Amino acid sequence: MKRRRFLQALSTAPAVPALVQEANAQQPGRAGGGRGTGAATDIPHIPVAAPDDAADTVAKFFTPAQFATLRKLAGILVPPVKGNLGALDTDAPEFLDFLVASSPADTQTLYRSGLDGLAATARRQFSKAFADLDAKQADQILKPLLVQVPWVYDLPKDPMKHFLYQVHSDLRTATRNSPEAAKAVAASGRRSLSTTGLYWNPIDPV
Amino acid sequence: MPKKEYDVLIVGSGHSGGMAASILTKNGISCLMLNAGPEADYQRDRTTKAAHELPYRGFNKPGRLSHVYQANEFNANQWVDEKENPYTHDPAKPYNWVRVRLLGGRSLFWARQSFRLSDYEFKAAEIDGGGDSWPISLADLAPFYSRVEGIFHVTGRKEGWPQFPDGNFIEQSYPSDSQTIAKVTDLCKARGIGVSKMRSSQGEGGLASSINLLLPGAVDTGKLDIVSNAIVREITVDKKTGKANGAFFIDRHSKREMHASAKVVILAAGTLETTRLLLNSGIANSSGVLGHYLHDQIYGVSVVASVPEARDGKAKPGMMGGSAFIPRFRNLSKDKKSSFIKGYCAIIGSGGSASPNHFPAYGEELQAKLDSYQGSCVSGSIYGERTVRFENHVRINKDVKDAWGIPALHIDVKDTPNEFAMAKDAADTFEELFKEAGWDILSKTDKFYPPGYSIHEVGTARMGDNPKSSVLNKWCQSHDIKNLFVVDGSSFVTCGWQNPTMTILALSMRASEYLVEEMRKGNV
Repeated sequence: MKRRRFLQALSTAPAVPALVQEANAQQPGRAGGGRGTGAATDIPHIPVAAPDDAADTVAKFFTPAQFATLRKLAGILVPPVKGNLGALDTDAPEFLDFLVASSPADTQTLYRSGLDGLAATARRQFSKAFADLDAKQADQILKPLLVQVPWVYDLPKDPMKHFLYQVHSDLRTATRNSPEAAKAVAASGRRSLSTTGLYWNPIDPV
Repeated sequence: MPKKEYDVLIVGSGHSGGMAASILTKNGISCLMLNAGPEADYQRDRTTKAAHELPYRGFNKPGRLSHVYQANEFNANQWVDEKENPYTHDPAKPYNWVRVRLLGGRSLFWARQSFRLSDYEFKAAEIDGGGDSWPISLADLAPFYSRVEGIFHVTGRKEGWPQFPDGNFIEQSYPSDSQTIAKVTDLCKARGIGVSKMRSSQGEGGLASSINLLLPGAVDTGKLDIVSNAIVREITVDKKTGKANGAFFIDRHSKREMHASAKVVILAAGTLETTRLLLNSGIANSSGVLGHYLHDQIYGVSVVASVPEARDGKAKPGMMGGSAFIPRFRNLSKDKKSSFIKGYCAIIGSGGSASPNHFPAYGEELQAKLDSYQGSCVSGSIYGERTVRFENHVRINKDVKDAWGIPALHIDVKDTPNEFAMAKDAADTFEELFKEAGWDILSKTDKFYPPGYSIHEVGTARMGDNPKSSVLNKWCQSHDIKNLFVVDGSSFVTCGWQNPTMTILALSMRASEYLVEEMRKGNV
């Protein structure tokens, strides 16, 4: 936060009445007693930055080879289309590294096995890493794995098809819901209600 | 001597508890309502946010609320925390128990579809021999339905069909059907299938909950005290009289245990919480059927088609849009043989867009498909009646306890071939209709969600005339304990295909007015 704005905000805060401070000091066990904000009103709002505005996600779940495959996939599956940002523009692979690291073991296995499987197929068919394939070669591997999924709770039994469905879906969501995409939509003057919602805060948590 | 003895203790604050409080307090009866969760402050507790502002960008925290398919990162805090409030099931027999403990319960979030049961449900055993009949008929409940519909401001179109009883509806004019909805309607009529419109509670201010339609009036009488964060663990019974005399509850925050005293106890905690409470209390089960006959409805079957003339932005005005509602149309006559018993309703929607899941494509090719199919789709989905079986039951799992030390439920439910046959029939029927309309089928599935997903679970304290085969009598009163009533969905004998809310409300109103009279007579 800019120092000048912070000082401006402070200067608008009223002084806490001395009598109230004294009364609170005499009852140290009471909530709001003693020094601090107990009797303060009109406390200034201090703006803070979103972490994505200030720093980069550290990808640490996938191996370098797996992550290179994931980034290649992201560029192929969700490229920039019709003025919309693509997955690589929004750091969607880095976000998925975090998300999968936080996920149950079966999701982690699905991703790791899927990325390793694509790498193995690339080596077998083209004698190079998946990340180094050209678009036509990548299509030859990926298109046979594409399936229609009419029911999202009945996913393909084939683990590679299942993986491709999942990573495609996750990359689309991570891209659409990214701060970069939100900024791009705002800059274009368009409205995007689909990524905005009414959020319930924790309600009187235990 | 207790500090205070109320006339009636009501456990739960949703539609059923709210209705009981409304009726009783307006008749001068003092009530204490205990609700397990806090009250939500709609101004304080809700904030408009963008998905990227949430910790998981809208994905929800992985592993959180794994049984609640309705949950997302925006609404995750409204549902019951499954770690604080666990339940168990065999992994091969999944059950989605979807719970809300806020003041007002699930009445805060229901879809407001408002139907009456018909005698196809009340007299089910006589219709198709499947399951049992209720000890009451539509005629018994009709006056109460009418009053409930008045309170909830129900809109609907009267049809005069016995499987879809008309009610006390607000007059409403419907815009002309789009060409696609009119086409489906014509094709259905040619098959003898009636097509109507959705019936829905308008409520007030966009909310049709106990907290705005029922509880304020009860509070205004000065006869209702509400305690929130009060987790009831046991109904207490006077050993001398055999009557219920109150309940132990635990403060949600401090875990302090307290006892509330009352002359009558009404359970309205929702079917499974009410049943858990009765089982943990060890009462009202001389029949041995408490916890059995759990059932709800199948959701998820769907067919999506695309109207060729509407693709690539070529839909003409009036071609797409709107919806139609088709009440149960299968097995209405004993003459027609079917591969299943009971039935389902169907919802047709027009004007939707295709999903990325419809196309085995990515990148620019996928975007081109999505653009082409935008707004060109017609979909069909169903709510179908599940089979009512003794074997589908819940029991206490003493090895698993919630955060307050209360034993959890184990749920044991399995679908039968009837559900699968019903789902297949629905998917095949939609496909046939849409193909005959000249539309391209984009996807078809006869799969459906696990039991519980509909949030319409009912039946575990069923009513009946025979105390040996039912928990409650036709007034929702325990056969075993005369001053114990259960007014939520537990009392259902069969749920039909209908959203059960109107029936729960009507039963609660009827039971509460019966209780008023019994208290006046000194019978309770």
